Amino acid sequence: MPSGTSNYDAIVIGGGHNGLTCAAYLARAGRKVLVLERRHVLGGAAVTEEVFPGFKFSVCSYVVSLLRPEIIRDLDLPRHGMELLPLDGTLTPMPSGDYLWRVNDHYKTRREIARHSRLDAEAYDEYGKAMVEMGRFAKPILGMLPPDPTSLDPRGLLELLSVGKRFREMRFHDRLNQVQLLTMSAVDFLDQWFETDVLKATMSASGIIGTFLGVRSPGTAYVLLHHYMGEIDGAFRSWGLSRGGTGAVSNAIASAAREYGVEIRTETPVTRILTRNGKASGVVLDNGDEIHAKVVVSSVDPNLTFLKFMDEKELPSDFVEGVRRYKYRGSSGKVNLALDALPNFTCLPGAGPHLRGAISISPSVDYMERAYDEAKYGQFSRRPYIDMVIPSLTDPSVAPPGKHVMSCFVQYAPYHLKDAVWDNQQREAFGDAVINAIAEYAPNIKDIILHRQVLTPLDIERDFGLTEGNIFQGELTLEQLFFLRPVPGWAQYTTPIDHLYMCGSATHPGGGIMGAPGKNAAERILRTSR
Amino acid sequence: MSAKARYDAIVIGGGVNGLACATYLAKSGVRTLLLEQRAELGGCAAEDEIADGFRVPILAHATGPVRRDVVEELQLYAHGLTFSDPAIQVSTLSPDGRPLVIYEDPRETAESLRAWSSKDAEQWPAFQATLQRLGGLIGSLFVSTPPSVDAPSARDVFALMRTLSDFRAMPKDDQWRLLRWGPMAVADLVAEAIETEQLRATVAADGIFGAMLGPWSAGSGLQLLLAAANRALASPAGRAVRGGPVALARALEAAAVRFGVEIRTGAAVARVDAHEDRAVGVTLSTGEHFESRTVVSGVDPKRTFLSLCDADHLPPEFLWRMKHYRSRGTLAKVNLALSALPTFTGATRDMLGGRVRLAPDIDYLERAFDHAKYGRFSTAPWIEFTVPSLSDPSLAPAGAHVLSAYVQFAPYSLRDGAWDTSREALGDVALKTLAIYAPDLPSLIVARQTLTPEDLERGWGLTGGHIFHGELSLDQFFTMRPLLGFGRYHTPINGLFLCGSGSHPGTGLTGGSGVNAAREILRQRTF
Repeated sequence: MPSGTSNYDAIVIGGGHNGLTCAAYLARAGRKVLVLERRHVLGGAAVTEEVFPGFKFSVCSYVVSLLRPEIIRDLDLPRHGMELLPLDGTLTPMPSGDYLWRVNDHYKTRREIARHSRLDAEAYDEYGKAMVEMGRFAKPILGMLPPDPTSLDPRGLLELLSVGKRFREMRFHDRLNQVQLLTMSAVDFLDQWFETDVLKATMSASGIIGTFLGVRSPGTAYVLLHHYMGEIDGAFRSWGLSRGGTGAVSNAIASAAREYGVEIRTETPVTRILTRNGKASGVVLDNGDEIHAKVVVSSVDPNLTFLKFMDEKELPSDFVEGVRRYKYRGSSGKVNLALDALPNFTCLPGAGPHLRGAISISPSVDYMERAYDEAKYGQFSRRPYIDMVIPSLTDPSVAPPGKHVMSCFVQYAPYHLKDAVWDNQQREAFGDAVINAIAEYAPNIKDIILHRQVLTPLDIERDFGLTEGNIFQGELTLEQLFFLRPVPGWAQYTTPIDHLYMCGSATHPGGGIMGAPGKNAAERILRTSR
Repeated sequence: MSAKARYDAIVIGGGVNGLACATYLAKSGVRTLLLEQRAELGGCAAEDEIADGFRVPILAHATGPVRRDVVEELQLYAHGLTFSDPAIQVSTLSPDGRPLVIYEDPRETAESLRAWSSKDAEQWPAFQATLQRLGGLIGSLFVSTPPSVDAPSARDVFALMRTLSDFRAMPKDDQWRLLRWGPMAVADLVAEAIETEQLRATVAADGIFGAMLGPWSAGSGLQLLLAAANRALASPAGRAVRGGPVALARALEAAAVRFGVEIRTGAAVARVDAHEDRAVGVTLSTGEHFESRTVVSGVDPKRTFLSLCDADHLPPEFLWRMKHYRSRGTLAKVNLALSALPTFTGATRDMLGGRVRLAPDIDYLERAFDHAKYGRFSTAPWIEFTVPSLSDPSLAPAGAHVLSAYVQFAPYSLRDGAWDTSREALGDVALKTLAIYAPDLPSLIVARQTLTPEDLERGWGLTGGHIFHGELSLDQFFTMRPLLGFGRYHTPINGLFLCGSGSHPGTGLTGGSGVNAAREILRQRTF
């Protein structure tokens, strides 16, 4: 094609859910958009693949709830085939043979918790109310363009003030919680309400998802909130499975995007971002083709965008330094199992509704913390935290009749191992550790495994282009959030290169199948190019 | 029953902050009574004889440093306070005998760093300068009452504006650093500027000192910045008080007497008396009662509200939050009387006379912390020690010496066993650690004193044995110290104020909280 001419208004690098969302919103506003995906499937980490014949897995990301409702509405995703099936509750087996089983039915859960502690049952109400308040406060911030506190731009200042104002309007109680959520450890935060160890352990788990921190590390309370903002049909803290796996969400967004006229090419890896006199002008594909566009939007992480697809000489040195400093530190792995039958948990034998929700191996706060300690010094956890779901129970379409798929999210598996590398041997050793940990509570697991797929952080990096295997495209720690994400001074989806934007999870408000970064970025882009 | 004594103000606790507050009030013409449960004033700034002729700084072996405005306003020079400005800020020993010295003069430090890493030698001065600039800005927040969150006064707004413009006046990089470093893990922070592990650990130790934090805990960066802020506010006369913390206590006591503070030692307050949510006085354990409309507590917030106050006078939410105010101490103290100066491999007398840190690398600090998480004391603790008898020979018989060591981590509550049966085991571990660097030390011991966090609580009333009266974390700092909405030295009980380390800024023996509180009280009350 003749170079120099702009065939597209925008090229989006990466067909993950954020890239697709961004593309859809741009096209919806009348822009001519091209999405380029390296792999043969769309969705990035929100992808469904038939890993073993007849067994379909949400290979990486496996539950949905953070997806912004406005995106579901704007893009009319249900019409494009997205269906969310509620995931009912969390079962936490205990070494004692007892269990803690929280379900969406508040009163049932209250009774269940009362079995362990009456006080905690009372506190559970208070806690729930408090967290909903926190979510209410935080939600508008998700859709916000992070202001630059160091600039004198009055708009930014006003936005900051408005946050401050809303903060002051909250009740004393809620203000305290808000501050603590940003700074405390998940366990310290929960300690204020609860006394039951297993309850604190399993609740604190959502404070470490995808983060290289322990449940006792300050800052994890925020990730607790990040996962608490889950919302299905307006109900806070309800998680769901996507019929057909999380890939179906991506496909729905893609179909909406196509309907708006977005052109999507898979198996089309980008190798370079073209710039002409300091402005992004297009991309180069691995086959050497150049495609030109007025605007280039990268949904991949800063490491790939700026250090792989660009020559750092094109960028200001302090910005490059910032990109280098940005922390990924993947700490989670994934084990996908094809099962011949259902696992049988000693605490609640047989099949039953308890298997239809999440099953969490988080028996005690110390168990969680020890798992972190091992990882801290460069080993995968010998006895890891595991979050399991069996989608085939709610959505039979993903497994052959009578068979099942089980998805196990595992922490910790540090990207950098001390005196070892993630080779096949380490991968299988890690897989075995996971199976053994499950077997402690469901002894039959070893006999019912037909196939097993183990993903280490290194695999996640290689297969899904997530640097160091961080599922959130970078740690959700306080110094990498809001106006500090991903690089101080560049939190508004813009980059030092004109016409080059970011729209991935590495931008505000961060990871999870949320779509907010893609949507916010699109709005930012439209603001300038209008 | 005798007629009740009446005062304009009663200050509970004769520690550095209580003394500073009482003295400042008295100087302003307020008839003030100071009540101290111990026999001596000074609180954590105290000295004790651990063996015939051997005197040690029993708790703190270094001051805050003392804040410039405290020294001047309380005329501490006139009351015998003198400073020295040792060339060495802190040094560290390595098992292989290579010392690493951080001098006050960054260029000198850079020189000594060359032996370790030329890159660090190059970058050090810039890193120090940055810490100084950021410390300076944070320090400017230390000297005044935090703004009111609910109803900022004109004064508050003005102060905030000034800070904001100071902030914007900084280089952009610094502005971003300030925002990033506070919530960061100190291990990450030092890794950005330093490559030598031993130097990283020595600097990072400031971020976890006295706290329930490891170098990999987010928020430990803040403590490093607070330490820098303290240095920025140090009296120009010098950072170190001649004669150590106890000399500060004595100068404060002299000033207190001079300005007419009425002092009662051995007077343990049992209760803050309130009537319809107004403070009306205090009652001692002896039943003796003192009346005052203004009661100022220099003891930590938990003790103040949960044991000295009647719960009926406090809102339930406030009480609940106070119960969860984090003050789990992790620091132990080991004091040694030595027949001679131990030979620390690679250490000079100048180094030993100052603060010496034993922590070879970041992981060492983190591992020491891991034990505390599970309710055990570190089997390999990190230590900061000094040999005060080098600068003040009068502390020990001729030729003999005393050594004062902070030992971390020692959690307040042990999971198995009690401190009374574990105290000496902790002392042994500390000794073993010191002996790695000074093999002859064990053979020189005349006497050994080990103080656990529990001892700090029993002996000095520090709840949880926390030396800072509560964690210096982002959610317990500035407008939130001790609790959001109560960062202005006032409390839910009208006329009851805080002036201890559990109130802003509350970072070590600086006298800052005490003087800040006094100023605020004078603003709010008419006497």
